[in-house]
Amino acid sequence: MKNTFTQSMSWLHTWAGLIFGWLLFAIFVTGTLAVFDKELNHWMQPEIPAAEVSQVNAAKRAIAYLQTHEPNAGNWSISLPTERAPGLRVSTGDRRHGVGVQLDPQTGEPIAVRDSVGGNFFFRFHFTLDLPRNWGIFVVGALALVMLAGLLTGIVIHKKIFKEFFTFRPDKGQRSWLDFHNASAVLLLPFHLMITYTGLVIFMLIYIPAGVDALFEGDTRAYFQAQGNARMEQPRRLAKQPGELVDVAPLLAQAEARLGPIGGLNIRNPNTAGARIEIRPVLGNRIALTKGNAMVFDGVSGKLLSDVPELRPAPLTQRVMAGLHFAQFGGYPMRWLYFICGLVSCAMIASGLVLFCVKRGRKYANANADADASARRWYRVAEVCNVGFIAGLLLACVGLLWASRLLPAELAHREAWEVRSFFGLWLLALLHAGVRPAKRAWIEQLGVSALLCAGLGVLGMLAGAADNLRIGVEVTGLVLGLGLALAAWRVAHPKPAPVRARRQVEAQA
Amino acid sequence: MTMIIGSLLFAYAGMLGLCQGLERHFKQVWNRPGPRSLRLALRAAGWLGLAISLLLCAQAWGWAMGPVAWCGVISLAAMVLVMLLPYWPKLAVGLVAAVPVWGGLQMLI
Repeated sequence: MKNTFTQSMSWLHTWAGLIFGWLLFAIFVTGTLAVFDKELNHWMQPEIPAAEVSQVNAAKRAIAYLQTHEPNAGNWSISLPTERAPGLRVSTGDRRHGVGVQLDPQTGEPIAVRDSVGGNFFFRFHFTLDLPRNWGIFVVGALALVMLAGLLTGIVIHKKIFKEFFTFRPDKGQRSWLDFHNASAVLLLPFHLMITYTGLVIFMLIYIPAGVDALFEGDTRAYFQAQGNARMEQPRRLAKQPGELVDVAPLLAQAEARLGPIGGLNIRNPNTAGARIEIRPVLGNRIALTKGNAMVFDGVSGKLLSDVPELRPAPLTQRVMAGLHFAQFGGYPMRWLYFICGLVSCAMIASGLVLFCVKRGRKYANANADADASARRWYRVAEVCNVGFIAGLLLACVGLLWASRLLPAELAHREAWEVRSFFGLWLLALLHAGVRPAKRAWIEQLGVSALLCAGLGVLGMLAGAADNLRIGVEVTGLVLGLGLALAAWRVAHPKPAPVRARRQVEAQA
Repeated sequence: MTMIIGSLLFAYAGMLGLCQGLERHFKQVWNRPGPRSLRLALRAAGWLGLAISLLLCAQAWGWAMGPVAWCGVISLAAMVLVMLLPYWPKLAVGLVAAVPVWGGLQMLI
């Protein structure tokens, strides 16, 4: 069967697409949701008020709170309210491992906020599959390579790219699935290629560390410093003498004029003569991903100590590619473009998976009843996995949003329970698909997902913490729910097969 | 925002022109083959529409981000067209009327 180049490519596309398509679908769905990670964070923590407070006032309240409660901490970290995340959060210690408190941006008083994995879960799952970080990055990287191979083999085997550029013939069974798979792949090919390739580039130093190993003897810190990311030496001696903190308002204004919208600030060694104020922009004032960039000011005199580093061409190229993947630039319109393109990508992968079963299913329908029993069993496995990994994953994702609102707020290890409910629902969906006939399983799981998506607004009304961001999440849920309901309805009421195909089946019967 | 809407409309119109410039899709809508000159004109108009869409994207986002957005805009516009065409062919063509409406609104504002 694999005599020609095209046939080999077709074989690779079919089998790699099937085996890895299930996980790729999960990666694409969670990646698409992660476009709105901060909005989902906000939705999943309804205690955070949506108050319009200027960043300067919020920063002053945060500093006042920290002066009263943590005057001797080595580091203060403040996340300011932004367009996408209206909360005000302060923490001490390291940015990643510090203990944080959520403040009311209007009063500066601490507020009790439920623990929630938030939309961050989708972000983390997208590049680690919730495995230990480095393992996950390697597994997802390997899957991205398969995706790239799938795209390239797809281009090779789809010979009529331009001839069938605008072709979609609905209600024709297998033909329609193939048409949709082709159309969604070809029309968004720039997006598919870009998102897959740049995804690999983000972690290129983890995947292919040889360059840094050879030039810097594996010392990644030396490598980062060589790029101009050198962290300034902290003034240890001055940090022991007391000092008075400068007013941050003019510094914030200066940083905003230089960098664009501000995301937050760090104050190292506060209340000492060696205090340093680092002000960081929100990501997305430019395409290049500027994670970790900050302007550093002297905390006593307010003098600018170091500006954001200019990136050299090679690191800049990598940062721009990472930025293209992270989709933090261009504001909300760009975010929506990425989100909808991501949805089409998910549909493209899902249609490919369904196409496999439609094609095989027809083969078995036409063959004798006692056809190869083991082949039939494998076909059933593919069918069950299709339902469980497509409809089941969607169910688990929206289920996580429900869990964030329904689990008791004071539950111990609440975040772990949220994650458990995500995987628990997914597992249930797989089991459910295993015991139900495939068609019923599709209808039931798509139907429940549709109800849960559309019902996010009901949860919102019960909690009564509506603001623009949360209503946006709920309306989007409603629209997606309607889409899923339409899908379930179409599975339940298929249009009769076209006459020609029916005649063929009758002739063979 | 109006620039972004305009870029979407022109991208759709452009893709529609390219699509109707193909014999099979012209027939799909009008149930008759289109004259060759008309098809060529439609194709030319299609490319022009895409070019205007790029300009509007650059207006909205600047020349660094604009082309990135343009790729997404024309892809999604084509996707919408392909999904509409078999179900409501006349509507798919009629949507192009939104372009002069948008243009008129731009003049007024």
